[in-house]
Amino acid sequence: MSISQFMTNEHRECDTHFAAAEQAAANGNWEEAEKAFLTFSNETLTHFKREEDELFPAFETQTGNTQGPTQVMRYEHEQVKGLIRKMAEALEAQDKDAYLSLCESMMILLQQHNMKEEQMLYAMCERLLPPDLKEATLDKMKQVVL
Amino acid sequence: MFSQNGLSLDQAPPISVVFRFFLSGSLFGVLTGAFVLYFGSDIFNADSTKALIVTHTLTLGVMLSFMLGALFQMLPVIAGIKLTSPVKKANLVQYPLVLGILSLLSAFYSGEPALFISASLLLGVTILGIASIMLKNLLALPNHSNSSKGMTIALGSLILLTLFALYLTGTLSGFFEGTFYGQIKTAHYSFGLFGWIALLIISISFQVIEMFYVTPPYPDFIGKSLPMRLFGLLLIGLVFGFFFANIWRIVDLFIIVFMLCYALMTLRRLSQRKRPIADATVWLWRLGMVLLVLSMAAMLTTRFYTLPPLNSLNYIFFAGFALSIVFAMFYKIVPFLTWFHLNAQGYFTAPMMHEVIHPKTAMKHLYIHLATLTAFLVSVYYAPVIYLAGSLLILSFGWMLWQIVHAWKLYIHTQKTGEKFEMTMPEVEG
Repeated sequence: MSISQFMTNEHRECDTHFAAAEQAAANGNWEEAEKAFLTFSNETLTHFKREEDELFPAFETQTGNTQGPTQVMRYEHEQVKGLIRKMAEALEAQDKDAYLSLCESMMILLQQHNMKEEQMLYAMCERLLPPDLKEATLDKMKQVVL
Repeated sequence: MFSQNGLSLDQAPPISVVFRFFLSGSLFGVLTGAFVLYFGSDIFNADSTKALIVTHTLTLGVMLSFMLGALFQMLPVIAGIKLTSPVKKANLVQYPLVLGILSLLSAFYSGEPALFISASLLLGVTILGIASIMLKNLLALPNHSNSSKGMTIALGSLILLTLFALYLTGTLSGFFEGTFYGQIKTAHYSFGLFGWIALLIISISFQVIEMFYVTPPYPDFIGKSLPMRLFGLLLIGLVFGFFFANIWRIVDLFIIVFMLCYALMTLRRLSQRKRPIADATVWLWRLGMVLLVLSMAAMLTTRFYTLPPLNSLNYIFFAGFALSIVFAMFYKIVPFLTWFHLNAQGYFTAPMMHEVIHPKTAMKHLYIHLATLTAFLVSVYYAPVIYLAGSLLILSFGWMLWQIVHAWKLYIHTQKTGEKFEMTMPEVEG
């Protein structure tokens, strides 16, 4: 499996948990929503950590560019983390309207972010990193824990 | 996309760029309703000046305004393009565009050659100018998505249909003899309806259906091939249309098949979405696709039977399709941008998307839109209802106008009074 496939699959898995939490909250099933949201946030944060600890440094070392795409992606990760915090608060308060509203923002923000990664950054990694480094980076990413 | 200092905030144009186009689009929508009230059922007579006026208020005033606003916003996201000095460009486009449209409408009404000349100059320079800039940026992209490829072709169609329009207005103002007036007129509206309006909607949907509703991607025979094949068909119609007028009958049949494939696949994708919540925008997309199917069915039927109401019904179905998608995009873009810009500027008190436009407000607009469409359909058979349809159209666009003003007021209010988190990132100007 390539870095691109592995990371893209993770995006799709996060989407599934996100949708499950959103639907549960819309139905007023807060216990279920909390469970799915926890899985979503843990998986998303682990995914970010894989990128920030392993993939981005590999890309930056290889290209010598620390201010380009990886910088943009790190900034967007912070935006997403901020929203995750707000969503957790809304969930705790069982504020359905606030939670669903934050879901809308999160979904658009996250999908724009994923699109940039999948179409640009992962494609660039596949093209620019030597095969050995790609394999090693993928192995290291798989071991990352939150 | 990833400039040296480029943070994601830099990639989005200022919120006012998008809002100004949405505002003028809504105002032209209100004007369309006023024309419907003034002209009555005569708008359904395709050869009449009144139909020309209403059609161009809708296509140029409403659709082009909304589409330019959406393109200014979406090109950075979808295609990774950042237009330099977007506010300046937006102003340089918007003012001449509005003047040009008003000039064209007056020219249609009066037949005055001088008005055709001023409309040609204003609209020609503006549309060809901005479309070429956008097209040039798109063509320079190293990696193309299905969406960016489709947008490139749609902008190519916009340039062609504008050149055809210049020939038509040139003929009407006495510059050309108009030897090919009929052929060029057919090419003009075919490229306009399918090469520009439908293709831009299709290209945008390749990205947003998947993104907003989390669906599987479109299959390759639609995502990869449809835009180019559609454009190829239109070119065949254009070239061979000079020798055999009947070529368009064959071209149209293929277009109908393509549009049906696209609409049915979109309906299927919407039913496969991972986010099961169905808000107004999901229903607007569905409605749009159903109307596209009905429009194609009406178009197909007119090939075999001559039933006068079918052309009027087709007109309503196609306009309803395009407007439904514009509304669906509007209710995602306006709340998201308001929240996104304020949040990115560091305001703790940035209003949430539902505070900008509540889903119930969008739902109410869906009902108004449905009532408007129903009234127009009924008016084909019972003419007096046209006045109800016109009034509802004014209400529909008035509703949008109010949402833009409300979002803008909220944006300014938050900037003036909101608590701000000290950011190390650069700010964007409103």
